[in-house]
Amino acid sequence: MSDSDYEHDDEDKDNDDDEPDYLSDPDDEFFDQVEPVLKPPPGLMAKEPRGPMGYLDFKFTCIGPDELMSRMHDIVKQVNAIFELPPCTTRILLSHFNWDKERLLERFYDGNQEKLFKDAHIVNPFRQARVPVGNSTILSVDVICDICLMETSHKQLEGLECHHLFCIDCWRNYMRTRIEDSGNALAIPCPHGKCDILVNENIVYRVMQPFPDVIRRFQYLSAQTFVQQHKLMKWCPSPGCTFAVEANSTRGVPVMCNCGYRFCFSCSSPAHEPVSCKYFQLWVKKCEDDSETAHWIHANTKQCPKCKATIEKSGGCNHMVCRNVNCKADFCWVCLGPWEPHGSSWYNCNRYNNSNAKVARDGQAQHRQALERYLFYYNRYVNHMKSLKFEDKLYAQIEVKMRDMQKLGLAWIETQFLKQAVDSLCHCRNTLMYTYVFAFFLTKNNHSILFEDNQRDLEMATETLSEYLERDINSDSISDTKVKVQDKSTYCERRRQVLLDYVYEGYESDIWEFNMM
Amino acid sequence: MASLAIQRVKREFKEVVTSSEAENSQIKLEMVAENLKHLQGEIKGPPDTPFEGATFILDILIPDSYPFNPPKVKFATKIWHPNISSATGAICLDILKDQWAAAMTLRTVLLSIQALLASAEPDDPQDAVVAKQYKETPEIYHMTAKFWAEFFAGGNPSSYSADLRQKVKSLCDMGIQSLDAVRALSHYNWDATTAVESIFS
Repeated sequence: MSDSDYEHDDEDKDNDDDEPDYLSDPDDEFFDQVEPVLKPPPGLMAKEPRGPMGYLDFKFTCIGPDELMSRMHDIVKQVNAIFELPPCTTRILLSHFNWDKERLLERFYDGNQEKLFKDAHIVNPFRQARVPVGNSTILSVDVICDICLMETSHKQLEGLECHHLFCIDCWRNYMRTRIEDSGNALAIPCPHGKCDILVNENIVYRVMQPFPDVIRRFQYLSAQTFVQQHKLMKWCPSPGCTFAVEANSTRGVPVMCNCGYRFCFSCSSPAHEPVSCKYFQLWVKKCEDDSETAHWIHANTKQCPKCKATIEKSGGCNHMVCRNVNCKADFCWVCLGPWEPHGSSWYNCNRYNNSNAKVARDGQAQHRQALERYLFYYNRYVNHMKSLKFEDKLYAQIEVKMRDMQKLGLAWIETQFLKQAVDSLCHCRNTLMYTYVFAFFLTKNNHSILFEDNQRDLEMATETLSEYLERDINSDSISDTKVKVQDKSTYCERRRQVLLDYVYEGYESDIWEFNMM
Repeated sequence: MASLAIQRVKREFKEVVTSSEAENSQIKLEMVAENLKHLQGEIKGPPDTPFEGATFILDILIPDSYPFNPPKVKFATKIWHPNISSATGAICLDILKDQWAAAMTLRTVLLSIQALLASAEPDDPQDAVVAKQYKETPEIYHMTAKFWAEFFAGGNPSSYSADLRQKVKSLCDMGIQSLDAVRALSHYNWDATTAVESIFS
């Protein structure tokens, strides 16, 4: 193997994670150091050297189910270092503020604390009675539990800081019912009818100790609620995946879960860079509305110029009489103007410049033009989407090829470049697909021309790469093919990055003009 | 859990029977089935309402998960009220749904329903027709509710009840069931012509 081959290998290693560096940042401490919302200093884009994608300092990490709980406890601990409250109280407070530490701190020290505790449905921890409630109490006098209405002389009584005590059996039944049925484990109220104090985790763990299944479900729900409430966390939307993703900003940037699924951090849709969430949603809606039926109707029918009923001409002369009983308009099929001035020239419309007809035709022409424009972008979008769907097939083909190459004497590791090339190909196709959505909404200006140039470059490179991957590999061409494939896939990744950087810089400096269609 | 439900209902019985409200015969609770799963409640129409003097029967089903889930309660007696279905007797009341708390009892439920009769919530209706009438023509609502209380629940007769009874009778003479006649007339603000049309169309 020549030196140049090794070079390629090294280069490949750099891009090895098949995601650029920003997507797999190993820096776990990051979240402890950095403020949650980061705004880039002005001019950052132009001056500072950038990683593969300089768009903001967007970073994210993937969090497994176990780590989630510790992440939650970390936040509680951080706040408690200041508050010095029982952790379970702090947790309810944090949950009330959707885990926004700063807002809680601000509110805690600035304003009516009594009201804060009331709004968060907890008893003011500073005014609590000295009697340690929460610890199990056995009373010597006969007390009637308000749930089972039984004397509780021999039973353990339990209650929250609101001092509504119930026997432990009733608590167990209550919690089982609430935790098993409820979707939000952090919002279970005291079982007393007129009390809205929330059940905290301490009492759950204490009372439900003999029922690990309920505790597990409680923890699961707590984690669920935690991620849902936390603005900077999202569940991976891939079916069956239990990972969550935490980022340092809510921007609509694609993230990749440990399970391999790529999605937009802001809207949880499949990754749709470079187009923004807003226009992505608009596009999806448009595609749903404009079904194939609508296309056919637009292409093959005309509208009655008076009542706008849709008409298909199946034969006969140009004199149209609208069948709509309320309309009955007479008009010419060719020019869509009123029939009257056509007189007896039945089969020949010579009134093309008639102003009425012109208005009707212009309306339709405009409609058709808009449709053509849409179809232009739609077809290219769908084309890439279809190609992406063959991804699985391609991976299987590549697998076979890699085995063939190993038969030809290459080591397993030396054949990995093929797989990486397919990864690149898929990324580029995904990006290309959405560049057409981006372009559809884009108003033409100098920047959009530059964008289209970038798009063309990427498209050509991607198609060439795709072609290389389809080629048969034999012992003669093997080293040649390897070099070509590696070069091309690196080139593709770079072109993709250039395109994305340009788009994101454009978002920053506000050079893109969109129209809503 | 089911045994807890039964135990608890037994105790609640005692509570209702010995309560001051029962002494004033404002509320009453009776067993329907031996197993205590199916009960029958009774409430008096509160004073200064169209329901004054009337007695309403409630059908109460106790779920196995009681008291951690609410009892299923509906009106067995026909009633004209925005938050109660005039057709099925279903009740729209928060404590019978998500605001139920385990420490609430059948007594509190009966009292809450009685309170609901005194203060309707037309913006959160169970019966849209009644709610519309309540908001748009309160006098007709009042008259209708009073008539229903008298006709179905033994309420005190009012000055206009003879008049309304006459209308119902005229429909019955056409072969219409009296319940259908009352419903249709109430629905169409006691306009006999439209009511008849609606029945025969």
